[in-house]
Amino acid sequence: MNAETQAAGGIDWAEKRYLLVDDFVGIRQLLRESLRNLGAKHIDQAASGGEAIVLLSKTRYDVVMCDYNLGDGKNGQQVLEEARLRNLMLPSSVWLMVSAEKSVESVMGAAEHQPDAYIIKPITEGVLLTRLNRVWTRKQIFREIDQAFADKDYLRAARLCEEQIALYPLHEIDLQRMKATLLLKSGAPEQARAVYEKVLEDRDYNWARCGLGKIRMSAGEVEAAQQMFQAVIADNRFYIDAFDQLALSYQQQGKHEEAFGVLEKAAKLSPNSVPRQRAFGQTALKLGNIPVAEKAFRKCIEMGEYSVAKTVDAYFGLARVCAQKNDTKEAIRLLNAAVHQFGGDQVTLRAKITEGLVYHETGDYRRARKSGDELEAMLADDSKQRPDSTTCLDMATLLFAVGVKDAPVTLLCYVARNNHDNAPLLEDVQKVFDKARMGDEGMELIKSSRKEAADMMNTGVLLWKTGKLIEAVEWMRVARKALPHNMRILFNSAQILISQLHQTGYVRELADEAIGVLMHVDAIAPGQLRFAQLMEQLAMLAPVSGVVAAAAASEYEAANGAVAE
Amino acid sequence: MDEYQAQHYEGSPELLMFLASTVHDMKNSISVLSGTLENLIAGSAPGSTPASAPPASSAAGQPEYEQLGQMLYQTRRLNDNLIQLLALYKEVGKPGYPFDPAAHRVSELVDQVRGQARILLQSRGVTLDVDFPADAIWTFDEDLIIGVLVHAINNAIRYTRDRIRLGIRIDGDYLELRVEDNGDGFPPAMLEAGVDAMRTGGNKVNFLSNSSGLGLYFSSEVAKMHKHRQRHGGIALENGGSGALGGGCFILRLP
Repeated sequence: MNAETQAAGGIDWAEKRYLLVDDFVGIRQLLRESLRNLGAKHIDQAASGGEAIVLLSKTRYDVVMCDYNLGDGKNGQQVLEEARLRNLMLPSSVWLMVSAEKSVESVMGAAEHQPDAYIIKPITEGVLLTRLNRVWTRKQIFREIDQAFADKDYLRAARLCEEQIALYPLHEIDLQRMKATLLLKSGAPEQARAVYEKVLEDRDYNWARCGLGKIRMSAGEVEAAQQMFQAVIADNRFYIDAFDQLALSYQQQGKHEEAFGVLEKAAKLSPNSVPRQRAFGQTALKLGNIPVAEKAFRKCIEMGEYSVAKTVDAYFGLARVCAQKNDTKEAIRLLNAAVHQFGGDQVTLRAKITEGLVYHETGDYRRARKSGDELEAMLADDSKQRPDSTTCLDMATLLFAVGVKDAPVTLLCYVARNNHDNAPLLEDVQKVFDKARMGDEGMELIKSSRKEAADMMNTGVLLWKTGKLIEAVEWMRVARKALPHNMRILFNSAQILISQLHQTGYVRELADEAIGVLMHVDAIAPGQLRFAQLMEQLAMLAPVSGVVAAAAASEYEAANGAVAE
Repeated sequence: MDEYQAQHYEGSPELLMFLASTVHDMKNSISVLSGTLENLIAGSAPGSTPASAPPASSAAGQPEYEQLGQMLYQTRRLNDNLIQLLALYKEVGKPGYPFDPAAHRVSELVDQVRGQARILLQSRGVTLDVDFPADAIWTFDEDLIIGVLVHAINNAIRYTRDRIRLGIRIDGDYLELRVEDNGDGFPPAMLEAGVDAMRTGGNKVNFLSNSSGLGLYFSSEVAKMHKHRQRHGGIALENGGSGALGGGCFILRLP
């Protein structure tokens, strides 16, 4: 067998470490026998998802063979997700998902954490060896691309795809798919569109049709996009990504009823997705369908116990549901549970906002006002980071509603300054002012906030253009502190830092600063061309490729939590 | 019909869950059964070790060995039937069926089919010849095509004298995959079922009185799901002349 193994791809499967996960002991024994015939010596076994996680956190396995259906508790997909998100696997590790039949999951698309291969029982040695060798080869081909992807050097990764296509025609489709994804992340949708269209000339790949649909959707061709998603669903009614995208497109059009209908179908087909149940619950809540919203949020929380994708949104949503049912006590209990389980300033702040909403909706204006005052006190603490724009708008609305005046005005000006050239968002800000009967005053405030931001930026850019680089870098630090979420300021700030690096040569501190700024902007607004271009410039300046960016990315996540979807 | 079944399907997730877990259980049993039998057969061939079995002919003629071979053959039939019944329930060929075409090396397809059939063929004293273009790459759903070919080989075991040939070649815009044997050919009713399976419209299935009709239906639906630029795949059954071995011949063509 060993000679055969070597001949098949030059990989010595005998020295690898294996983990077998199956709730049926007979299958584990059989697979262990097969692996031993391949020469394997290090084989561990787990009978459940929980056991598997314990073993995975102790040992870095080279190959995991995991049954999808593990009885009670986690299923194979959830074990895989947790292992990947908790970094329990090496990038070179192989995950084979074993199932009894040709699984719908394998063609659903969109699951963010796909196994390296699916394999159907009964498993024979020949099939096992072929699949292992194939996955291994594929990992070699994608290794550099995956590294560049992880370092967020998307343009380089896309170029690497192009190079590999020429060398490995067998993997052309996979590489094209990856290239399109990278181009989208680089803010180059037109190039991504060309890739999808080229692939579609050959065959009707559903992922390519969905990809094209997403591009059309963000280009404003919403109806054309919807037709594409509907065509995919007609072709494969399990292609869940098409359902999710279709629902999203209806939401963008404000057609919540239609979005609800699509999400309902998607949730029935594949109920075990936290993001899907969350979207379903939020849409139901918007439509006032309290029983459905409650069920969806409860499902979300229940799944969260086994999934790292658990979300605090489900708790807030369910608290709102309880308010609708006049069950204030349960709502408050949920909010406390959310703060207890998730913690952090942002969650505490959002819990307080939801608390105010709950009291307001149930007519307890005295307690609602008290929540408002507490929020105001929390906002007064400048050392704490402000939440994202949507949360800020929610908070301002609530504060106005309970009768607080200064805090929401400050908050709205803050949003306007940080988004001084984002017209749709500024319209939303104006609407909040209008609702508080402060329309004219609001318009003036928005205008002066925008000017303040523009002035700050122009000063920095002028210093840069007149060659006063050191002063420009210094000025942009001040600007960033005042306007931490302003995209234009963040991009210009990174650009100026890079100019400085060009002059001085590579300085670790400056590079880290630039990377930190870029990671932040990518978290606020992913998929910007300028992000990709600046990351590429930085990567070219770095003496060792990738390492610095990866370090900065993990630092950023450690400080701010995982980057949201 | 389709609309009704879709509603029936979507409307009873409990039934689907129950079926899924039962199938999971049955598949485990069959896996253990066929895996254990393979190990026993590999180990019990006279004068052999599991790793290197002698030519099948020297082991043939031993009653116990033959009985194990018969058990493995029946277990494989059980597995094929289960897969096909399940495919029928999940409406193979219809939009909801999980279908995942990708580019594969023809040589890897052959390796996997040969690996699945090896012990069974050895236990029945049947030699498998393979013939394929070494560097060819083709786009197909690997699991489904392996299923069709292994089933065709299991079927050929029933009709062959002592030799089966898996022959693959590129024929213009198609990949042609043939499973031929050197027996006396398929019975007329089966040839007819082969024609019926490919007949379009009406959706009439000739299931015969045994399971060969089911196998042919499954294979033809899998073939038809493979589409490329207005062309789709197909199957055919032939006797004598066209095959290199002169017996029955199963032909699968993929665009």
